[in-house]
Amino acid sequence: MKEILKALINVFLKMPQGFVVTLKHVFKKPVTLDYPREKKPMAPRYRGRHYLERYEDGTERCVCCGLCAAACPADAIYMEPEETPNGERKAKVYEINLLRCIFCGFCEEACPEEAIFLGQEYEFSDFNRDSFIWRKEDMLVPHPRKDNPFKRIIRRVRRVYGVPDAAR
Amino acid sequence: MSTSTTTQPAVKMVTLTINDQSVTVPKGTTVLQAALGAGIHIPTFCWHPKLKSVGACRICYVEIEKMPKLQVSCATEATDGMVVKTESDIVKRGRKAVLEFILANHPLDCPTCDKGGECDLQNLTFAHGLDDSRFDFLKRRHIVPGVPSTFDDLRIGPEIMLNRNRCILCYKCVRSNKEAFGEYDIGAFERGNAMEINAAPGEQVANPFSGNLVEICPVGALTNSDWRYKIRVWLTQTTPSIDIFNSSGSNILFYKEDHKNRIFRTISRRNDEIDDGWITDVARYGYQLVHSPDRLQKPLMKKGSKQVPVEWEEAVAFVARRLAEIDDTKGCVCIGGLASPTLDLDSLHSFSKFMRKVIGTNNLDFRIDYRSLPEKPDSAFSTLSSQPFTIAEIDTSDVIFVFGSDLVKEHPNEYLRIRKARNFGRPLVYSVNSFNVKSADVADREFIYAPGTEEVFINGLCLAAIEENPGLSGADGLKRKISPADLNSAAKTCGVSAEDLKALARTLINGKKISFIVGDQVSLSRDREVIAAALCNLNRLVGITSRGQMAALARYADSIGAEKLGLIPNPHPDVKRALTDLWGGFPEMAGYHTEGMFSQMLKGELDAMVILGANPVAMYPDHEAVAETFEKLDFLVVADLFETETTAMADVVLPLASWTEFAGRYVNLEGRIQKAERAIKPLYESKPAYAILADIAAAARKPLFSSAREREEEIEKVLACTTVRPWPGDYLDVRPPAIDKDPAYPIMLIIGDDPHHRCYVTEKAASLVKFCSDAYIELSPELAEKFKVEDGDAVRVESKYGKLMAPVKVSRVLEGDVVFLPRNFSVTRANSLVSRKARIDWVRINKVSG
Repeated sequence: MKEILKALINVFLKMPQGFVVTLKHVFKKPVTLDYPREKKPMAPRYRGRHYLERYEDGTERCVCCGLCAAACPADAIYMEPEETPNGERKAKVYEINLLRCIFCGFCEEACPEEAIFLGQEYEFSDFNRDSFIWRKEDMLVPHPRKDNPFKRIIRRVRRVYGVPDAAR
Repeated sequence: MSTSTTTQPAVKMVTLTINDQSVTVPKGTTVLQAALGAGIHIPTFCWHPKLKSVGACRICYVEIEKMPKLQVSCATEATDGMVVKTESDIVKRGRKAVLEFILANHPLDCPTCDKGGECDLQNLTFAHGLDDSRFDFLKRRHIVPGVPSTFDDLRIGPEIMLNRNRCILCYKCVRSNKEAFGEYDIGAFERGNAMEINAAPGEQVANPFSGNLVEICPVGALTNSDWRYKIRVWLTQTTPSIDIFNSSGSNILFYKEDHKNRIFRTISRRNDEIDDGWITDVARYGYQLVHSPDRLQKPLMKKGSKQVPVEWEEAVAFVARRLAEIDDTKGCVCIGGLASPTLDLDSLHSFSKFMRKVIGTNNLDFRIDYRSLPEKPDSAFSTLSSQPFTIAEIDTSDVIFVFGSDLVKEHPNEYLRIRKARNFGRPLVYSVNSFNVKSADVADREFIYAPGTEEVFINGLCLAAIEENPGLSGADGLKRKISPADLNSAAKTCGVSAEDLKALARTLINGKKISFIVGDQVSLSRDREVIAAALCNLNRLVGITSRGQMAALARYADSIGAEKLGLIPNPHPDVKRALTDLWGGFPEMAGYHTEGMFSQMLKGELDAMVILGANPVAMYPDHEAVAETFEKLDFLVVADLFETETTAMADVVLPLASWTEFAGRYVNLEGRIQKAERAIKPLYESKPAYAILADIAAAARKPLFSSAREREEEIEKVLACTTVRPWPGDYLDVRPPAIDKDPAYPIMLIIGDDPHHRCYVTEKAASLVKFCSDAYIELSPELAEKFKVEDGDAVRVESKYGKLMAPVKVSRVLEGDVVFLPRNFSVTRANSLVSRKARIDWVRINKVSG
């Protein structure tokens, strides 16, 4: 007798309560996004794909010092330096294996020339493994610039040494 | 080796306390050296263990009790009872201040600096320095005019880049260049804040030791272009190795990268017994030939008239079959072999066993550039060249006698030793030559004897010694055996005055410890037996070896090893016995040496040759005749790194692995066995010589060794025999042969090595080619004036045997009618001017107009 009463209460009182919750959500704005048509803005410090910067005159900032590769815990960066015709140092080969990369951002912290930084993009799917090895040209593309607090000391030294930061 | 400590008088010792540790050192030691000896580290920039202290950088500050200020430990002598602290707070503050001053002008360009990662300043700043600078003004910058670069790099030598912004003015480069190498092509200019290191005006830093300046630079001010912007030092691995281009076997260290299978640079691995940490440029840049694009990649076989690449199996089977055919049809007497004395012990012993056991012939030799070879095995010259010699003994000698040797070109390490002995002691150094040499700048006096009068000079020395000290034993017996038998006529013939001869004889008699070095002017002379006999007489009369050492020094990395392993037709009897015991037999035939093999080839009596790593066509005197000789061969197999004049004539060419590509042992001129480790995997399809020989022997079904172990044990047993030949029991006859001179050819030609070119192979090293790319005619200023030529003008040099054209280089050392021509260049062949029959090569030169 008691069990029958309990079942009746569940059916006629508790269940409609649940339906009310569901019904409420039908009229609410959904929390999910219609990915890939819609994309969520990332946090300001989110670390996505790598970019290489240029100076304003178009020369590459990267001098191929190898500190990013040394800092990289996943050993994802490979580089070979070369000498430019006027005796400066630049990268002949600069590759990042995005399959190895763990997006820790150590390369960005290590870079004394503010040449590399991690952007906001995170979509890397492709059909073959080779396309995940990004070359210098893949990363030397226009990008939104990010300010980085780690670089203050370097900037000051560069000023002391007489090399203007942007114009050189 | 230990005599340096036993023969010297007891030195007063002092005891001091460093960091609560009691240290006892000989008087005269600096505090820095005392601390280093006790295992206490003191940072330094300008100090170098082999140079005198200057105290320029002041980073080696220590606190000494009862002294009011901090003292530079490198220039403070340790005294009794001194109490030194190296890690106190005041010392640390002092270091910090010094670093701050150094960094006031030192740029923060570590990312682009090749020294980054192994920089003393970087490490010390990290350990002691401030993390920021208080000098908030612009840094001093030495801008290179006309170069649109922010890097300010200046090329001051073929291989050296200078960045003056980075320089901390420790003067180590200038000091080592002056003190240790005797070169003045780099210096410090201007004063005060504008002071800079630079090449001497109008000059390039291109001396034979220039690479060392880069190595000892504590910052990245001097870098060399072979390492410049190639790789970061922390990505490389190191392999200890040996320099195989010089006979002293300097110890070197290769920096290589395993994944790329490539060597990136060489630095020295200091060994105080041999090289003192200085290596020649040839040793430093010689590794580049390994990565030359001209390396042989696959075995080549002559099919028709062309050499075509084939597989190893085919080439090896063909060689084994052809050798067996010739052995069957004509006998093993018709097969000969030549091996390069720069090969390792394993290869040389395999070669010896291959020729003697597998083929059964005794025609084998390792001497590839000697003019004439001793006919008898127990000749005077073999005695002289087998004498023991220790490089480190030069340091403590009080008389150093260099006879017939341009040391910088022949034995650079020994030259630096003599220089060091002069810097830190008071030895009497004499340089005796038939022409003026660069290395005479370490000598107290330089004597020039008339061309081709070596034995007369030595006889004169003997006669002068008898006059100085008539009591010398057997003087009468000696006088009967030599001619001229009186001092004055000997002095007149050789062109050195009787007084000078007497003074020289006096120093030889009175010297307490003598180092007597005999060089190439004797070793490569046609009449070297006569000269060696005269030297044996001198030693018997004066007793040089009882008070020191006297030897004709070996010229190649493994010459002594080859001799000890018996790679000559008539090896030392002990070696022969050991080989007979090991192999259960030894070829009965007498065998021919190099010269003998060549004349047999010319007669058509020798039909097949096996050549390992040698290029006799380019290196042996009388180019035309040798080339003609090789054309008569039925079958020639050559293993080499590159295609050479000799491989061009070969039926089978096998790619040989270089000394960096396998572990090998080499015996230097002192008889010291040293090991070169394998740095990289063999490139292309090359193989070490011992592996090639093992393959051929296996294809002939006569395996050489059952295991590498067996090979090593055999080598151990053979090397255990002593090959030092006893001095002759009596005075030897010395009758000077007549010198043939044609008035049409008035100028004496000296053939030797350029300091930046060794054997025929270093032409493939890109850096060395920058120093010297082809042969030149070095002539004295008098001759240059006479023929109205300047640096770079072309002249034609003609001898009776050939002629060639080469650019002029006016010498700074040569005097009189003498020209020098470097040998072993592939384009301008010095050996085409030379005959095997003449003692001196007389030439005439004329200017090429236009």
